[in-house]
Amino acid sequence: MAVAALEGVRIVELGQGVSAAFCTRLFADYGAEVIKIEMPGAGDVTRSWGPFPADEPHLEKSGLFFVLNTNKRSVTLDPSGDEGRDLLLRILDGADVLVENHQPGQMRAWGLDYARLAERIPALVMISITPFGQTGPYAAWKGCDLNAYHLSGTGSRYCGRPDEAPLEQGTFSADYFGAYVAATWGLASLLTQDAERGEHIDVSCAEAIAALFVGAQNIGGYAQDGSFEKRTGVGMPLAAPATILPCKDGYVWMLALELGQWQGLARAMGNPDWTQTELFQDMFARAQHADVIYPLLEEWTRRHTKQEIMDRCQEHGCPSTAVFTVQDAAQHPHLDERGFIVELEHSVLGSVRTLGAPVLLPQAPGGPRSAAPLLGQHNGEVYGERLGLGEERLRELAANGVI
Amino acid sequence: MGRSLPLQGIRVANFGWGWLGPVAGQTLSRLGAEVYKVESHVRVDINRTIPPFAGGERDPDRSLQNHAGWAGNGSITLDLKRSEGQELALRLVAVCDVVLENFGPGVMEKLGLGWEPLRAANPRLVMVSMPAAGLFGPLSSVRTYGMSLSSITGLDSLTGYHGGPPVPMENAFADPLGGTIGAFAALLGLHQRRRSGEGQHIDFSQQEGVMQLVGPAFMDFTFNGRVAGPIGNRHPTAAAAPHGVFPCAGEDRWISLAVRDAAEWRGLRAAMDDPAWAEDADFADGAARVAHIDALHERIAAWSRQHDDYALARRLQDFGVPAAPVLNVADLLRDPHYAARGTFIEVEHPLGFRETVYGHYVKTSRGQPAYRPGPTMGEDNRHVFQELLEIPPARFEALVKERVIY
Repeated sequence: MAVAALEGVRIVELGQGVSAAFCTRLFADYGAEVIKIEMPGAGDVTRSWGPFPADEPHLEKSGLFFVLNTNKRSVTLDPSGDEGRDLLLRILDGADVLVENHQPGQMRAWGLDYARLAERIPALVMISITPFGQTGPYAAWKGCDLNAYHLSGTGSRYCGRPDEAPLEQGTFSADYFGAYVAATWGLASLLTQDAERGEHIDVSCAEAIAALFVGAQNIGGYAQDGSFEKRTGVGMPLAAPATILPCKDGYVWMLALELGQWQGLARAMGNPDWTQTELFQDMFARAQHADVIYPLLEEWTRRHTKQEIMDRCQEHGCPSTAVFTVQDAAQHPHLDERGFIVELEHSVLGSVRTLGAPVLLPQAPGGPRSAAPLLGQHNGEVYGERLGLGEERLRELAANGVI
Repeated sequence: MGRSLPLQGIRVANFGWGWLGPVAGQTLSRLGAEVYKVESHVRVDINRTIPPFAGGERDPDRSLQNHAGWAGNGSITLDLKRSEGQELALRLVAVCDVVLENFGPGVMEKLGLGWEPLRAANPRLVMVSMPAAGLFGPLSSVRTYGMSLSSITGLDSLTGYHGGPPVPMENAFADPLGGTIGAFAALLGLHQRRRSGEGQHIDFSQQEGVMQLVGPAFMDFTFNGRVAGPIGNRHPTAAAAPHGVFPCAGEDRWISLAVRDAAEWRGLRAAMDDPAWAEDADFADGAARVAHIDALHERIAAWSRQHDDYALARRLQDFGVPAAPVLNVADLLRDPHYAARGTFIEVEHPLGFRETVYGHYVKTSRGQPAYRPGPTMGEDNRHVFQELLEIPPARFEALVKERVIY
């Protein structure tokens, strides 16, 4: 079997929550070794967030923790005292990358800010993923995914009804987005020649989305013309149909813009007379009459299942799709055939189905191979075998609450 | 002059189109790569036709959002439907490290640019394909727009007001995200190549990239068979309350606010001047607050709507509560935080106008390449065909005249 793309790369994660953990999982999926540093006692906060089987909280049974932390090693360590910090520095001595997502002030308080780390380990790549970033007036603000997401303008511009609150997408969108960006920059940094290695990468989740998503499509126009738009709650207001409609067993994303797509949709519906109206052959004109067209479409969608509608539309060159529920997606034969859903054995949870890697490399293995670690599962291996600490010293550190 | 950039010396031929493909190229360019988007006047990329245009002049070289999304890519024009065009593309690929494309499966093959001929032209090539649902599998020929791609991941079923129908995300969140993941894929290929000396054809399914975001709800289904619906702005695993967006004074003004532990709850109570209702047993601890989240949110909204959004966010931060204003498009450009970080910058386009675009949204101590504005069509034709591929000037002019380079 070929060697994994990132075999030999050593990552240390000092994080809480989603962004840092997902970033290092992207490395771990492709063979990097990830040592996850967790606070003694409670560990990563996602261990307490669930979801749990039968909703019974248990530090070793969180689904979110599991899906974010496959392939990793866990050691417990409290970096707030001298002993803890020294131990962490010794772990970092052998690392290529540190991924962290604490408030900048917290890292300084621990003596783990980039300036100090770079002095000791010049070749270290430090990746900081925070809601707001390391600089700027909000750098010292407390924040979570929701704050970062809505500071990006995404909700106000694109998600929600006009007279109601702007919406997150129902997940940790900003954390995931920032983590992908951070992993990309980190992976590039590791390609530099050894003598050029070492840098601090500062990712603000809010900024990444504000720039790449909302900014890209809106800022140029606003700066030039002084006007801007907001969410409509409908879909694409300029052209139609481009909206989500209810059907017999759920919802469909109804899209038919170019003429061929519209004609395809008409055929899929059996060419009812109203679709042949001259006026309705243009996507912008259709949008002007969305109040007529959407109810007529809904009359048809209500009579069919999301899968029937998707199949018929796709067959006729119309790109409409079923709005998959989580169950539809989780059980889809397509993802099974691609090996995307992976089953792993966990010593407390038993057999667990989890998400595979986002990118398929034909030349190298990838994806989850081992279950998420138990809290401190690898203390012996990392502190004992790697750092050479004796059993007595380990007991002492444990007694002092350091590990 | 900073240190060399990570991808200095890496050359990319970007057959990507729309928004996603060019973002993948742009990302590699920000990391130091030399990127050429391959396009043609035969069929102008739809992304170049989207208004508004610089100075209001409808011209594929002047679409403002196109400039923002494609900046960093160079551009060459080539008619890939013609065999001479395909030959030239293969010659370019032979001197590149990476090829990017986001057509449907099979399209590159029809253009004579599938993996086999590309590998024959360049065994060290990393080719990244970025189709909607991957290169194989029963859904691989599915057609979607960037805006609806998330419908086949389960994500759209979670977006909307709590208990209500799905509310669509009104633009292609999956495109800039997918472009980023595409760049990540290319970097994986370069890492592998450093080890093996060989290239490979990478299959990045946008569906699988975006479905990562469904992780929390996916695990709840895995464990409990529960099929989640829209959750509004609530915590994705119901582990915190309050957790929402609250109205402020003025039209369409809001703040986001979350309380994750006892200290933050004490902070929120203090910021609200310790109202009597907050002492109710219904709100005593995290589990109680989650159980009574509707009543809790109503109380907070009654308070928040009397206050200015920015002032309220600052006050909550002073009390140690995670809170921030909810920004609209205009706010992005005047917000002091983005201004301080240089998130949006005004640049001079070579065509002679100024435009506002996003700058380097990742800050590194290494330094960043100079900003390269959105390309005009074919602006690198001479450099690529005459200098890089050493096509004699007379032959070059003939290819232009014959509309192969077009």
